[in-house]
Amino acid sequence: MRIEVTHLTRYRYQPQVDNAQHVAYLTPASSPAQQVRSHSLQVSPQPGECESRQDIYGNTCTFFSIAKPHSALCVTARSTVVTLPRPHIESTAPWEAVQAQLRYRAHAPYHSATEFVFASPYAPRHADFAHYALPSFSPGAPLPDCAAHLMGRIHADFVYETHSTQVNTPTLQALAQRRGVCQDFAHIMVACWRAMGLPARYVSGYVLTQPPEGQARLVGCDASHAWASVFMPTGIAASTRELGDGQWLDCDPTNNRNPGEDYITLATGRDFADVSPLRGVILGGADHQLEVEVTVTPK
Amino acid sequence: MNTVDPSQFARSALHRTRPDASPAQDAAAACAVPAASGHFDELRGAAFELPGAGQQTPDTATTKASGADVPSTGIHTAQAVQSMPFAPAWAGFFDALGTAGLAQLDQRTRDLNQQIHDNGITYNVYAQAGSTSGPQRPWSLGLFPFLLTHADWQGIQAGVLQRARVLEAIMADVYGPQQLLHKALLPAALTQGHPGYLRAMHGTRPAGGRYLHIVALDIARGPSGQWWVVSQRTQAPSGLGYLLENRAITSKLFAPAFKQAQVSPLEATYQSLVHSMRQLSPGGGAAHIALLSPGPYSATYFEQAYLARHLGLTLVEGADLTVRNQKLYLKTLHGLEPVHGLLKRLDDAFLDPLELRSDSTLGVPGLLQCIRAGNLLMANAPGSEFLESPALLGFMPGISQALLGEQLSLPALPTWWCGERAALDAVLHRLGRSVIKPSYPGDVQQQPFEAMLGKYMSAKERDELAGRMLREGNAYTVQSYVPMSQMPTWNTSNGGTIQPQSAMLRVFAVSDGATGWRVLPGGLMRIASGAHEVASMHSGGSSADVWVTQGLKEAATAATSTQLAPGLVPTQAHTPAPTQAPTPAPVQAAMPSKRVVTSRAAENLFWLGRYTERTECTLHAAQHILNRIDVTEPTHSGDTMRHWLGALAVQNSLVLPSVPSLAKSPRVFERSLLAALGAADNSYSIGFNLQALKSAAFTVRERLSQEQWDLIVQTELDFDQQSQKLMAHGGDIAANEPINQPTNEPANQPTNKPAALSAVTPSAPDVLGLLAATAVTLAAITGAQTDRMARDDGWRLLSVGRLLERLQFLASALLAGLEHGSLSFATQEDASGQHQTGYNAMISLFDSTTTFRAHHRSRSDMAALLDTLVLDLDNPRSIAWVAKTLRGRLAKLAGDGPQDQYPLAQLVPDASQWQLADLLTCDAQGEPQALCALLSGCTTAATQVAQAIGAQYFTHAHVSENSIGA
Repeated sequence: MRIEVTHLTRYRYQPQVDNAQHVAYLTPASSPAQQVRSHSLQVSPQPGECESRQDIYGNTCTFFSIAKPHSALCVTARSTVVTLPRPHIESTAPWEAVQAQLRYRAHAPYHSATEFVFASPYAPRHADFAHYALPSFSPGAPLPDCAAHLMGRIHADFVYETHSTQVNTPTLQALAQRRGVCQDFAHIMVACWRAMGLPARYVSGYVLTQPPEGQARLVGCDASHAWASVFMPTGIAASTRELGDGQWLDCDPTNNRNPGEDYITLATGRDFADVSPLRGVILGGADHQLEVEVTVTPK
Repeated sequence: MNTVDPSQFARSALHRTRPDASPAQDAAAACAVPAASGHFDELRGAAFELPGAGQQTPDTATTKASGADVPSTGIHTAQAVQSMPFAPAWAGFFDALGTAGLAQLDQRTRDLNQQIHDNGITYNVYAQAGSTSGPQRPWSLGLFPFLLTHADWQGIQAGVLQRARVLEAIMADVYGPQQLLHKALLPAALTQGHPGYLRAMHGTRPAGGRYLHIVALDIARGPSGQWWVVSQRTQAPSGLGYLLENRAITSKLFAPAFKQAQVSPLEATYQSLVHSMRQLSPGGGAAHIALLSPGPYSATYFEQAYLARHLGLTLVEGADLTVRNQKLYLKTLHGLEPVHGLLKRLDDAFLDPLELRSDSTLGVPGLLQCIRAGNLLMANAPGSEFLESPALLGFMPGISQALLGEQLSLPALPTWWCGERAALDAVLHRLGRSVIKPSYPGDVQQQPFEAMLGKYMSAKERDELAGRMLREGNAYTVQSYVPMSQMPTWNTSNGGTIQPQSAMLRVFAVSDGATGWRVLPGGLMRIASGAHEVASMHSGGSSADVWVTQGLKEAATAATSTQLAPGLVPTQAHTPAPTQAPTPAPVQAAMPSKRVVTSRAAENLFWLGRYTERTECTLHAAQHILNRIDVTEPTHSGDTMRHWLGALAVQNSLVLPSVPSLAKSPRVFERSLLAALGAADNSYSIGFNLQALKSAAFTVRERLSQEQWDLIVQTELDFDQQSQKLMAHGGDIAANEPINQPTNEPANQPTNKPAALSAVTPSAPDVLGLLAATAVTLAAITGAQTDRMARDDGWRLLSVGRLLERLQFLASALLAGLEHGSLSFATQEDASGQHQTGYNAMISLFDSTTTFRAHHRSRSDMAALLDTLVLDLDNPRSIAWVAKTLRGRLAKLAGDGPQDQYPLAQLVPDASQWQLADLLTCDAQGEPQALCALLSGCTTAATQVAQAIGAQYFTHAHVSENSIGA
């Protein structure tokens, strides 16, 4: 599916900003699930410096700075992406075995997914997450079942409510109040998964909101979206008990489904803090207003 | 329990078992308490088991099982221990001190404390933002140095060098190929799972190719004499400044012993660090290196300022720096100056609000980009915090083998990280003989616990702990408990005893060129307080200078065997050849480059000047008014003097404008003025100004002499205490006289009445006494500012600040006198003598009575007054002098350009153009238009110059930084 995304972010400052430095994660990644056909990032006013680099996870991040006074900032990312159907992910390994294999033992081989077991700023370690997660992890259950179960419960138990949380609301608070937005649900799923000693990532991106014939309109339209991604090892070798390679299974607890061709991935990290679409440090501009407009259209 | 009364030991007994001991050693031994049972006794060079101390002794069986230190002597009586001979180094030390020196130890302790006070060496204990009073306490230094023999030092030095190399190799691997992870030599939980592992640094090759420039190891000596590594510090280790002060003081107090001991000098190591940083930085030999400090609220701010001065580095805070084009610059009074290297004392998380903690106000946005681009050398490179986890110690031997193929020569205390199931199982049953530490001590999010000593926990507490460890093994690290060696300290109580105290040594390795290391021969000894077993400056411990001796041992041996005269140094042949690379020719002390004035320091100096002058003016006005209010005199509307004094009080914020006027209600007015003097809420009077003065001084503390700082602190403290006391007890007048509202005063005006009025009002005479005392110390502060500070541009701004305030004060006061008629150009004969009173009062307010009399004797005409108060270019209290001096300072600030073309200076009226005849001219209504215009021109100029200075020099310092995110 060919999808075009326009992501516009506009800040208005009062008083004006004298100097600003920003980091943007607004460039979609190419992967087996999506190919980026075109991309542009426009910044107004024109930045004095602008440089892109790959972060540790392969995401493209763009640093730019504006060293002259300005009372508004406008960042527009335009991308055309071709998405492909995602393969069905099989994993029969019981969750306990995977958990055990990822724990450190002397001389045991390191698995690259291990990094995503650890707590991160928006997905801290806390007993409440383990407590909430536990019913989804019945003994011996294969990981895909656990993921589907947990995703379904978050979808059912939580109320999607715009403005019920802020960008910096602690995930623990969202868990306690059983309401939030897609970012919170993604973080809750990530934190729960990690509380069980399993690797989970946070994905920022977009979802196409033009509903196929006869289907309900999805929540989260015309905004950037976020979901979770959990690790599914292909299996555990019977002889060595070694964890094989695996794949990451995306889970969108906001919509209770696994992302497919209608999802576009922007960036993947441990949580929002690693991949927030646009952040910055400004000199001045004590009061600022933010507008974000996202348009996702099939082409 | 282990203290011993020295009086119970007879000298005669000592003589029998210490045949070779000198009288000085005997005298020292007689008052030297043995170390606690099972602790290495530094003075006697061994550990001893004392009887009856079983409860307190660590379980030696378990220590044995863990492979850690084991004391091997039998049980001795305290008396027997006390008569043991001293270790040779200590024997030599006491010989050099002699019996006479021994008798003076109390005096030397006093000298030491005086020295610390005079040098202003402080440690902020519970430093927190917004608090400038209280948190500083004097640095604590023990009298005796810690003596390390050259042989002991050789072992430590080799082990520290090796560990520094291993730590550097770990950094290069973790931020590079991550072989250690893949080979499971380092758990991911301790790198990727550690909050101090910075993903933004991954793949970065630091400027100059090395990550670490300073490594600090805390090491402790166990009962057998073996040194053990207890912890590693790389993020922003403290101590390098304090230990220099320790050395300066201790080496002076024990000069003969210091000389005889041939103590290894420290300077070359410091020069090696700075030299290496310069050479490896992108700036090369001429690089500008700065020390990045968290600011005056940090616990070790004193040593940061001290170290910066010592190393010739600019002391900067995050707000002083800015990033342009991935390069770092210092914001100075005269523009941006490139910075090529930072010695950082700021924790990593706060370095860059753009990529790390977005709520950090201490860092510099864009800093990590400079580092990644290789445009900035940072010592140490960000991201080393994970090396500080105690959990890492257990993995160091394997890592050393893998990366360097070497066995570690200086062992760490046996340490188990409980994230590994096998290790957890191994330690659960021995928590009672261990120290339990957090694996992630700096992790704010997970609220780390304090290190715990298992032997002080109940069985129930240990069970609960074991439960938590089973659930959250990663967070816990268990380390064998080993009793720390005890060094002699001087205790002045009980007639003076040599008291053993547990101590831990912090040793430093610093960079030496691109790949080399150099270990500082010495270090910072930290002494536990009382019976504590934690040596930490924060928890009230003390410190000691550390002498790596080459001579004491030999001198002592020589003295006893061949009866050489004391003080004679053995020839080189007897001295073990130092294996350390020979000290290079002393590196040229870092050129004290012309001191940079940062925009922030400049602004704070400007405000220091303004508040100092403002306090003086306000205080002077208060004295002036209180001396002239006579509340018993009847009021009349034509009382020009009272109108003027009332206006003066309002102008100087001595009373609120809403307070009933002095002319109408003298009593209420006086009480309001007295009540507001202290630092009460909503008051901007003297107490407030003194506080503001101190706050401004605090932010530029490193630029002020100890004397000036002490004066400022003392003045504020005294005024605050005294005014509170006066407020609490009231004066005789206030106490004896019920508050009777005279009939012509409004009875109740709650809105106009300051709250303090309901309290007791101090008496005017008492307050005047306090004001007079405060004026004296303020004059001393002024003296320190004018006569004890280097006259750079920072000082110039301080001076400009003072002159602006004075110009404002004098011009406003004179203007008010003209407006309210206390000064008059009209008839000079006046039945009430009002004219003369107002005339003299004005001259007195200008502090110019003496000058006036010298020039004009008993004249009382306006020409004479204006000549002295307005036009006299030689009278520092005249308006012309202030304006002229202000112009001069502003012109000098501009640099070399033509002075009269400097726009800031041009804002100030040119006093050389003023003519007495013009000023004396009155218009048809009898108003001296020209004079009034001149005076209001001066007040306007003061405001304009202040604004222009802000716009020109401090803009960066003013604007607040915000983090935003979408």
